[in-house]
Parts: sequence; structure tokens; C-alpha cells
Amino acid sequence: MSNSNVNRRDFLKLTAVGVAVVAGTQIIKDAGASSGAPKGKRQWAMVIDQSKCTGCNYCTLACQAHNDVNPDIQWNKVTEQGMLGGHNVYLPRPCMHCEHAPCVEVCPVKASYYRDDGIVMMDYDRCIGCRYCQVACPYDARSFNWEKFEGENPAVPEWGNPEVERRPRGVPEKCSFCYQTIDRGLELGLTPGVSDDATPACVVACPTGARMFGDLNDPESNVSKALAENYHYRLRENLGTSPRVYYLPAEVEKMEA
Amino acid sequence: MLKNIRSKLVLTPWTIWLGLMGIILLSGLVSGILVFWKGLGITNLTDRVPWGLWITIDLSSIALGAGAFSLCAGVYLFGLKRYQPIARTATFVGLIGYTMATLALILDIGKPERFWHSMVYWNVHSLLWEVTMCVILYLTVLIFEAMPIIANLEWLRKRFPKIASLMSRVHHYAPILAIIGLGLSSLHQSSLGATYGVIKARPFWFKPEMSVLFMFSAIVGGISITLFATMLSSRLTKKAKVNDALVERVAQFVGYLLIGYFYFRAWDAFAQTYTYDPGRSEGLHFLTKGPMAFNFWVGEMLLGMIIPMIILLYKPTRTNRFWRMVALLLVAGGVVAFRWDTNITGQLVLMSYVPGAAITYTSYAPSLIEILTGSAIVAYGLTAFSLGVKYLRVVDHTLIEEEHETVRVKATQPVSIL
Repeated sequence: MSNSNVNRRDFLKLTAVGVAVVAGTQIIKDAGASSGAPKGKRQWAMVIDQSKCTGCNYCTLACQAHNDVNPDIQWNKVTEQGMLGGHNVYLPRPCMHCEHAPCVEVCPVKASYYRDDGIVMMDYDRCIGCRYCQVACPYDARSFNWEKFEGENPAVPEWGNPEVERRPRGVPEKCSFCYQTIDRGLELGLTPGVSDDATPACVVACPTGARMFGDLNDPESNVSKALAENYHYRLRENLGTSPRVYYLPAEVEKMEA
Repeated sequence: MLKNIRSKLVLTPWTIWLGLMGIILLSGLVSGILVFWKGLGITNLTDRVPWGLWITIDLSSIALGAGAFSLCAGVYLFGLKRYQPIARTATFVGLIGYTMATLALILDIGKPERFWHSMVYWNVHSLLWEVTMCVILYLTVLIFEAMPIIANLEWLRKRFPKIASLMSRVHHYAPILAIIGLGLSSLHQSSLGATYGVIKARPFWFKPEMSVLFMFSAIVGGISITLFATMLSSRLTKKAKVNDALVERVAQFVGYLLIGYFYFRAWDAFAQTYTYDPGRSEGLHFLTKGPMAFNFWVGEMLLGMIIPMIILLYKPTRTNRFWRMVALLLVAGGVVAFRWDTNITGQLVLMSYVPGAAITYTSYAPSLIEILTGSAIVAYGLTAFSLGVKYLRVVDHTLIEEEHETVRVKATQPVSIL
């Protein structure tokens, strides 16, 4: 075009600048996502009372049944923490669903992501299996599917029935706070943490009531009350990950009661 | 027919070499197929140590491929034109190193068929995403940079002369490619360190120096392996034509770089002794007094830095080709040892979840499958380089690129180059 001032070189330059600006804004916007999980209407949290936990492993088994987990893998590991006044103290560890989750930050393909209710989710169809999330997780919450889980699940049907698809070989998996139960329960108008049909399997299965589940945004929920009334701590709090799993430390008087 | 082939099959050092590499490659291929078929369950990797031998090979071949960007930057950006023949060799070594890394990664990831996800689903906050993108882009740059080298293939020149001349003309753009290469390499060589450096969960890794150390050691190791490969080929074949004065000058430069690398590595390690930091102090103990102590003191420090530093800075030993070669190989070995020690130590020290609880340890040794496939990746690199020396004039300091012919002038007359 002879009457135009824009020649080909200028046009290319402008295009390059345009692309750079768009890409730059996108990158800055995306990088902002690292400020942590979005704050939705509900914020699920779990409280585990170590005075009540007897290390019976019912939670692990119920979890393995409901989430169809390979018997070699535990989404919820119960370990011994030590002794207190002649009693064993146990430390059950599900995924901490961190507010600033290292696994979400390091995943190269955004296969780990936050839901707006704070649950840290895995997109098993997107994951490439690089295991950076496993290396980065401070809580050893992730297990890799080194082999395909085939055959019967020994925890079924005694401990419950599978509600989610089995994960394929080659991706890591972890606790999801039984999001499927929460979502279905909410659809039915139930309250997670109150109604068994809307509450994570491990909380329902616990015979001593050591686990509580609920919405931190609701001051009347059992977790909000438990945290307001009791001294509590979280694991590796110095890392600044802000876990959503809180622990009430074991107390001798409560354990003997 | 069969007789014909048999009569052609003469046992020369070259055919024996190719045969040996062929065996390793074949066993690696079989093991690789087993990995894809049976899955990573047949490795010794665990949930505690998810990154093992393959990741070390991946990190090491990227590090040893760094000679390409450092020497190309030197030649095309800082005007050290006379080292151009060495930069050519380095470019080819880089191409081999990065393809080796890609092979190791494809084996290592659980879902190799989804490798392209990192190009489509961006997490700009992830160091590993940045490394993947940079490696893919830089591999593309390397392919362009290596085009004039591949154009030397006799068969290509005869069969497709136009394509061959087009490929050698890519050399015109060498300075631009060198700028892009320098940018991309600076990003991902240091980000590979940062991949570990941002892991808060493991205090042994969690420090900003990781990026600096990875970058620095890559430049030192990358140049060294290029020089070593150059010298070794000149010993073994007449196809390699080497100007030893050039190699010696760069080797001396490596000697000076080693002082810097030694300073950073020593300072980084020993600054950690000043306070007790859970996990970090145990990691340091594990590295300097525990199971990694030999690797650290002998592999990294003594053989990897101090001895080659002396050999390369002391003129009588540097000018001795044998000792110079030994020194250069030791430097490359030291860089590999650094990658192995860093990757493994950070994973073997297991943190506790509650303050005050004891820190525990785990162990890892690669399985036969991992070793066989890993050896095959290395064998691929060696085979590719030796083929390059034989057929692509990869090590040929007498070769002058068409576009870079020198202009002969009388010193007293004004010069017009164009």
C-alpha cells in the first residue's frame, strides 16, 4: 500500500510488541494466582483431636474404600507420634489442603489446583507424572501410581463403596477431602460436617469422634467452635503453607477420661 | 550376499566401537520398552525418592551441554572470533546433551504421551514449566545452530546440494542465535537450580544460591567436556584436526573459572555450618560426613575442582596434552557428582512434621533397568559425537565457514570488507 506509512518491518515490530504485551499481562495475571487459594463462600477445614485418636486406622480403610485407593497407597497415614502419660499419641495425616500449597505452585501443567472452597484438587487427566509435586510437598501427602491398580479393592464393601474413578498408572494421587461427597451433599441441601452423607469418609468412620469437618466461614460450625475453644496447632507451620487441617494436641486428662 | 557382507565386516577399532555402543543401545532400548510397557514400578524410585538416576542424567547432560551457549556467546557476542571452531564443536555437543536430556525425561515422566501438556497448559509460576519451555525453545535454537554442521554431510551435499547450501547459510544468523541461546540458557540453567532452590519443604535445597551454583557449574563443565571431546578425537582419528593453541587457551580460562566455582561451592557448603537448622544441618552432615562424603570431598572438591585447577593453571601441566585431558574430564565428572549429590541428599533426609521430632533417612540405589537405560542414553551421546567427528567435521579447526572467510589486506591500505 503506497499511501500507508506502515511498511512491513513496522507492521512486524508492532505485532511483536503486541504479542509481548498480551503475553506479559497474562503472565503477570497468572503469577498473581500464587498468592494462594481463592476465598470462596465456604472454606472447608478438618480438626483432628489427638486426645481421642486411638490409632485404629478405620479412617484409612474407609478412605481406601470410598476413594478406591490401591491397598499399597494411603491417602490418610496414621503414624505414632510418641507417648504421653502412658498413652500412645497418634498423628493421622490426610492432605493438608494448604492455602499456599507448594504442589499447586510447582506443577508445570496446573494439574494441581485450588477450588474456591480451599480444596487442593488433582486433574489426573492433565498430569504428566513428573513428580515435582511429590518432591515439593512438605507433608508426604502424595503417592505415585507406580503400578496400575487392578483387581478387587480389599476394603470394599466392608468399609464402603467406591465413589470416584481409579487413577491411571503414572500419576500421583492424594486426599481430596472427599469432594464428591461434599458436592453431592450440598446439592441435596445437607451440611458437610453435620450430615454423614455430606462429610468425608474418614470423619464419618472415626469411632471415637476424633475428627471434625466443617466450614471455617461459618462461626457456628463445629470446626470453628473447636478452634475457638481449644489450643490448636498445624504441621510445619513455619513454612507458611497455612494448612486447613488443624490438630488439637493430646492432653493427659482428656485421654484418661 | 551374506558372504559379501561378511567380507565387508572388517574388525577395525571403529567397527568394534560401534558394535560395543550398539550392544549398549540395544539393551537400553529393550529396557526402555519395558519401562513404557510395565511402568515406573520396575524402577527403584519410591514416593520418598521420586527423582533418581534419570534425573541426574537429565541435569548432567543439560549442564554439560552448556558449552554451546557459553562459547557461542564468547565467539559471536564478545568478538572472540578465533575460537569459532571450538564453538562449532560445543554446539554439536550441546545438541547431543539436550537430546539426551529429553530422552531421560521421556523415560522418567509417568505419562510420556502427555509431554506436550507443558506447552499447552502453562503454569508460569512453576520453575519446571519454565525449564521445559526454555529447553524446548533452546533445542530449536541448537538445531538451527547445528544446521551448518549437518550440511557438511557428504551424502547431503551430493544428493541435495541446494538444501545443504541453504543449511550452511544459517550461519549468517549465528550472532542472533547466540543472543537467543544466551538468554534461554541463562534462564533455564539457573532455573534448574531454582527448581530445587524453591522447595521450602526441604531445607537442604531451599536457598537462592542453587541457581548460581547450577549456572556456574554448567558453564565450567560444558566447556570442559567440549574441550575434552575435541582432544580425545584428535588423538583417535585423523578426521579431527585440532589447533592445540586454541584449546590450551580455553583450558586455561576453565582453570580461572574453577577458582570461582570452588569459591561459590565451598562458601555455600561451609556457611551452613554456622547454625543448627533442622533438615539443612542434617543434609550438610549427610553430604560432608555421611554416605555422600566421598562424593563430596573426593569427587566434587579434590578431583572435580582442586586438582584440575592446578593442572590447568600451571603451565607445564597444562601444555602437556595428557594431563590437560585428564583435568578436563575430571571437571566434567565433578559437575556430574555435584548434580547427583544435590538431587539425592535433598531427598534422603526426611523431615519430621512436628517440631522437635527426629529427622530420619531413607536410601536409594538405581535398579538394573534404570542403569541399562541410563547407559544407553550416554551411549547414544557418545555414538552421535563419534559419528559427527567422522562424517560432519565436528572437530575440524581448519574448516572456515564460507560466510566467514577472512579478507586479506595490506596493513597500509584502507579496508573495505563489503
